[in-house]
Amino acid sequence: MSDSTPQTSAPAGPIVAGLTPAQPESVPAHPVRARWVPLWFAVLWANGKARVGIVMLVGFVAVAVFAPVIEPHDPQSQSFDASLGVSGSNLLGTTAQGQDILSLLIRGTRTSLIVGLLGGVFSTLIAMLIGMVAGYLQGWVDEILSFFINLALVIPVLPLMVTIAAYSPVRGISLIIFIIAITGWAWGARLKRSQIITLRTRDYVTAARFAGDGAIRIIFREIMPNMTSLVVAGFMGSATAAIAAEAGLEFLGLGDPTTISWGTMLFWAEQGSAMLTGAWIWLLAPGIALALLITSLTLINFGVDALSNPHLRGD
Amino acid sequence: MLLEVEHLSVDYAPKNGAAVHAVRDVSLSIAEGEFVGLLGESGSGKSTLGTAILRLTERPGKITTGSIRFDDRDITNANAGELRKIRWNEMSTVFQSSMNSLNPVATVEAQFRDVIEEHTALRGKAVHQRAAELLELVSIEESFLRFYPHELSGGMKQRVALAMALALDPRLVVLDEPTTGLDVVVARSILDNVRRLQRELGFAVLFISHDIGTVLESADRVLIMYAGQLVESQPANGMLRDPMHPYAKGMLGSYADPRNETIRITYIPGRPPSLLAPPIGCPFAPRCPEVIERCHTDAPEFLPLAGATVACHVARDQRTSGTATTTGFAGPVFVKTGASTASGDADVVLRVENVEKTYTTRRGMHQSTVAAVRDVSFALRRGQVTALVGQSGSGKTTLARMITGVERPDAGSIHFGQTAIHQLGRRGVRSYRRHVQMVFQDPFAALNPNRTVGYALSRPLRNYRRLSTSAAAAEAAALLQTVGLTPPEEYLGKYPHQLSGGQRQRVVVARALAPDPEMIIADEPVSMLDVSIRAEILELLDRLIRSRELTILYITHDLLSARMLADEVLVLQGGRLVESGPALQVIQAPTDAYTVTLLNAIPNPQARIAG
Repeated sequence: MSDSTPQTSAPAGPIVAGLTPAQPESVPAHPVRARWVPLWFAVLWANGKARVGIVMLVGFVAVAVFAPVIEPHDPQSQSFDASLGVSGSNLLGTTAQGQDILSLLIRGTRTSLIVGLLGGVFSTLIAMLIGMVAGYLQGWVDEILSFFINLALVIPVLPLMVTIAAYSPVRGISLIIFIIAITGWAWGARLKRSQIITLRTRDYVTAARFAGDGAIRIIFREIMPNMTSLVVAGFMGSATAAIAAEAGLEFLGLGDPTTISWGTMLFWAEQGSAMLTGAWIWLLAPGIALALLITSLTLINFGVDALSNPHLRGD
Repeated sequence: MLLEVEHLSVDYAPKNGAAVHAVRDVSLSIAEGEFVGLLGESGSGKSTLGTAILRLTERPGKITTGSIRFDDRDITNANAGELRKIRWNEMSTVFQSSMNSLNPVATVEAQFRDVIEEHTALRGKAVHQRAAELLELVSIEESFLRFYPHELSGGMKQRVALAMALALDPRLVVLDEPTTGLDVVVARSILDNVRRLQRELGFAVLFISHDIGTVLESADRVLIMYAGQLVESQPANGMLRDPMHPYAKGMLGSYADPRNETIRITYIPGRPPSLLAPPIGCPFAPRCPEVIERCHTDAPEFLPLAGATVACHVARDQRTSGTATTTGFAGPVFVKTGASTASGDADVVLRVENVEKTYTTRRGMHQSTVAAVRDVSFALRRGQVTALVGQSGSGKTTLARMITGVERPDAGSIHFGQTAIHQLGRRGVRSYRRHVQMVFQDPFAALNPNRTVGYALSRPLRNYRRLSTSAAAAEAAALLQTVGLTPPEEYLGKYPHQLSGGQRQRVVVARALAPDPEMIIADEPVSMLDVSIRAEILELLDRLIRSRELTILYITHDLLSARMLADEVLVLQGGRLVESGPALQVIQAPTDAYTVTLLNAIPNPQARIAG
């Protein structure tokens, strides 16, 4: 990302490049107003839904970063009585193991965000490499890569995830990120492939070929900056899927049950028959937290749409 | 008056950005049956004005002040229901993109039927009759009614769009660049149609264009727009004899008859002002060769003067105080004399012999072949410009692709020195491109919107000449100097969208020069530029050819620019070479009928007063 958006302080960032031809030629593509935030952020912020999403996400990030400060008790400690109700010292009660639910919830935010970030990054990277190379080179390279994309699309992901996780010799977050990355790239790859097919015939790509540039350089230095918004949207989608998949895998008991995350909370709540014992907060709290985090990312994606398509900017 | 626009202003005010004042305080009127041309370069606000008149302005655009009256009804704030009654019935339009507005899944007849049945009492056979009549108006046979849009050519679709605009006998037709992007010969036939129909049917026309030549040929009166304001309004004949505003003179000066022994075409350097903050004083002052002190401080008012209306201090002074009036444009001029043509005995750089190329397309059971290039032979000589002239589909681009090694000919040979281009492999093509570079048609598409000028120029320098980063930067600056972008330091860090069309094309030329090639293929390098700056790029190319001994293959449909630049002209029709020879000879004494057609397609407003 840092490489593809070097000019965010310039009047027009890469994302809005598609807008420029429609503007009168004499006018700078984007009015140079004294701007202390980059344009892409201004566009995101201008979208009401995205604004709500950003505020929510910032909240989650703050909770994750300052978890040790905010959490009222040590989430690992099992010093409380089991299955306490809501009280002054345990705002959301305790688990059957005697852990403070609020503290677990706060510490679990970290896991979800890290998995979302890394799972999203890795699956986006795989999608970019495979999709863009396939779309740009075409011919037999495309045939082979497209075969793998299609293969990955038709294989049911959840059973594959479960199988890989079940047979893996290691447990833990890194495994989950790995599984998410290798199972979640196919849609992104297909989208990027179709986008690059429309971009590869542009004159500036031909010009780069005439300038002697090689395929990889053309793909990543000439074409990719022009599809930043698509890459960002793909990343947001992958991150959302990664967060959900992480919770799902851990709920099924395929993660390391000793890590603190929303997924393992759900796992232990299920194991402890939380619903039956009336400890519904134990089950509900991580569920709502997950729903809210995923909602925030989805809302931000509305703004990302506006970045890639100026017509959606609602002005 | 059929249409009266008073003090109209239109702003584009995006949510996160400053407002662009695209149209500023414009007043105009169009009488019943009058043919009015509205001229301006890109960004002058002419299309914004046209869409505002049709009340089609879309957000973030907004009419801020002024009024539009159509047939004595104020439609400035008319609601959708009221507008629906007027649109198409009384006021219709053809845009540049109208041909794409045809519904791809309905036949031509069905689309006519929609319009006619919605607004008239005609039904059944009568509708078919009417549709056939309308097609006939635009010289298309009745049998085309059962065709789908994709089965028609671009020019035909545009003519269908024109026929549809006329379907309900409107009183005003707004034509916004109706032929831009179409082939010259086709464009000419559409304009001829419009003019004939307008005389026969008597509707009023507002013809918006950047091309003063075509407008002056057909319009009764011409309005010239600059930086969002009208600067001159005159009957067309008056405009031709005595253009008053220096900008009008400059635009007129960009035309000449290519058959003349010596041709002078002027160009207007610089670019229009930003409309974010409209300038104080005359907006044209920074580019005006006749500028006086007062122009920088006082904005001239748009007032009647000697049978015209003009906004210019200089023109007013000259005509009221009796000082001598200047007639021509006093700015830079590119002169081509009959003698300045290079002789034909220089070394041959590239030899094309008996080249053929056929494309086969398969569609369902049918297999069709198109012979794109048929038995073409010619040679390009060092330091000479050869123009390859022809309309679209004549095989120009296919030839260029074969010469640059993008495609291989089916038969025949292409030799660059000792290298056989028609047999080059992947690696060979790469090293060949060090010697052969390309200048693209569309300067807006040829530069990556996300890369600076410095980056674009550094790539060929690093790839072909193996320069270090710092050496490449220095060389890039030198190249910018060569193409007249000074001071170069200012341009290296700029992005394409910060440059005007002409500046972009200079960068594209600079990039083509970077590997120090022997040959350049220039594919319509000026056709996307404003007429007022075309000569500027032609002059630059001309200078480069003379100083660097470049060999250029100049691909164009425009014989005037071919005449300005080329030593030799090759005329291509349907993949076959129909005529070739020294430029002046081919243009003055064409032997092939097709060359004559191409010559006639060049707008020649001067003929209007001469004849």
